[in-house]
Amino acid sequence: MPTRIEHDRPRHDLLQDEGARTPAQGRRDLLRGSALAALGAALAMTGGGSRVFPVALAQGKGPQMLDTPGKHKGLVVLGDRPLVAETPEHLLDDDTTPTDKFFVRNNGQLPEEEKNPDSWKITIEGEVNQKLEITLGELKQRFAPQTHRMMMECGGNGRAFYAPTARGNQWTNGGGGCAEWTGVKLADVLRAAGLKDSAKFTGSWGTDPHLSGDPALRAISRGNPLAKSMEAHSMIVWGMNGQPLPHLHGGPARLIIPGWPGSLSTKWLSTVLVRSTPHNGAGMGGTSYRVPVTPIVPGSSNDGKTFVDMEAMPIRSIVSAPANGTRLAAGTRTVALRGAAWGGNAPIARIEVSHNAGQTWQAATGTTPPRNPFDWTRFTHTLALPSDGYFEIWVRATDRAGVTQPLVATNWNPQGYGANPVNRIAVLVG
Amino acid sequence: MRRILLLGAALLAAPALAQVVEPSNPADYPEAPGRDEAVTFCGSCHSFKIVSSQGMTRVQWDESLKWMVTRHNMPQLEGEELDTILAYLERAFPPKPAGSRPGWTNPFAPSR
Repeated sequence: MPTRIEHDRPRHDLLQDEGARTPAQGRRDLLRGSALAALGAALAMTGGGSRVFPVALAQGKGPQMLDTPGKHKGLVVLGDRPLVAETPEHLLDDDTTPTDKFFVRNNGQLPEEEKNPDSWKITIEGEVNQKLEITLGELKQRFAPQTHRMMMECGGNGRAFYAPTARGNQWTNGGGGCAEWTGVKLADVLRAAGLKDSAKFTGSWGTDPHLSGDPALRAISRGNPLAKSMEAHSMIVWGMNGQPLPHLHGGPARLIIPGWPGSLSTKWLSTVLVRSTPHNGAGMGGTSYRVPVTPIVPGSSNDGKTFVDMEAMPIRSIVSAPANGTRLAAGTRTVALRGAAWGGNAPIARIEVSHNAGQTWQAATGTTPPRNPFDWTRFTHTLALPSDGYFEIWVRATDRAGVTQPLVATNWNPQGYGANPVNRIAVLVG
Repeated sequence: MRRILLLGAALLAAPALAQVVEPSNPADYPEAPGRDEAVTFCGSCHSFKIVSSQGMTRVQWDESLKWMVTRHNMPQLEGEELDTILAYLERAFPPKPAGSRPGWTNPFAPSR
């Protein structure tokens, strides 16, 4: 077994190692009063590869806008350590989400930037015939490349719509984007290592250090059933929108496991472990990326033991134009709408809009079919308004399985996964 | 409480934690007893902004701290230190009123 797995052992095991003195132990000593010794331990734990990443934040009330190199200044900062920023719906108006508008989600610190991307090493190990260690340069030569436009969406997208507030980053609908990803099939690489009959699951690691700086901890390490990893659209990618994958988005190489929680799409990919049992890395189990099967009372306590791992993301739709809060000239009786719908379960069957809180719905007339099962469906629609005044324009999508978006976020859970109520914008005519 | 501040200061001083330029500033958050301790302690691992965007009961805050101890190796708070942090969190960031539309603000709402 690779040594990396040790990082995911229970904490008490780590603390029981003979002669081992973990940074966590050291930090506890700070609270127990042996401050000087522990200060040394705390400082000694900083050998990880993190680097300063400049993030300037606008001052003042209201949303904080992102101001960081390569990123659009309209992104809304949800957290600056780790850096988390969402894309307001009106910035998801491009057919393909430009890289500068693409949301940012980190669980740990940014690792050191790789200066020579082609020498980046990826290891495939575990339930395989032959452990495979391959550089990104070799990967590009050895396997057939492919490019797909696909949604990438945080598992917690929509969390802000839950009442009461669920724990975590308060995403509205902007924890997602649809970019063109270039890479190779993960299945091809796994097959090259030779999958044993015992291979049933995968787990993966990136190189991002834990937020605390503690080198004994991993920021996040998620996994899924092997069947998902073997799908033709599950990839190891090095390109985003025709350019090298940016460092901030996991470059030089990351996984893309489309349609499922974005945390499975490990950034700064270093290792894929093929397993006979479900992965147990940081971010697996408990209430993390898991949802109730038997619905629980909103706001109640739950350890998540009876929850199941969140797999396909729920169906979601947005109006991307006009922007929420647009003022229209008096007498305006039609509004040109643009937007998108997507979901991880089944293809989009229809997209509908309403200007009267759902009393009547109109089917969007102009829809662009998705290029693949994980692409979004863009739509346009000319919505007639009956008068001047204040209108909320609602949008909902329904998939081919007949599942539509609820009016309010449902199946509340402590960490807030799966909130996908109808999206709304407000416009004022006159 | 001095030890909490010392802990936060020690962790913030560590180079590996210097991912952003500015650490969380207590003055940016609601004033109540325990503010400096809470912002410094929580802010030693992540931005306090994420803390301030939550809204929970004391029990839920306590559960969240326990979750961080279990999942992220956070130092366990006990006794008066725990009381101070929890007292601030429950007072400054209680459950949000059950508005009919969480996560959405009417851009035309009359200003107060």
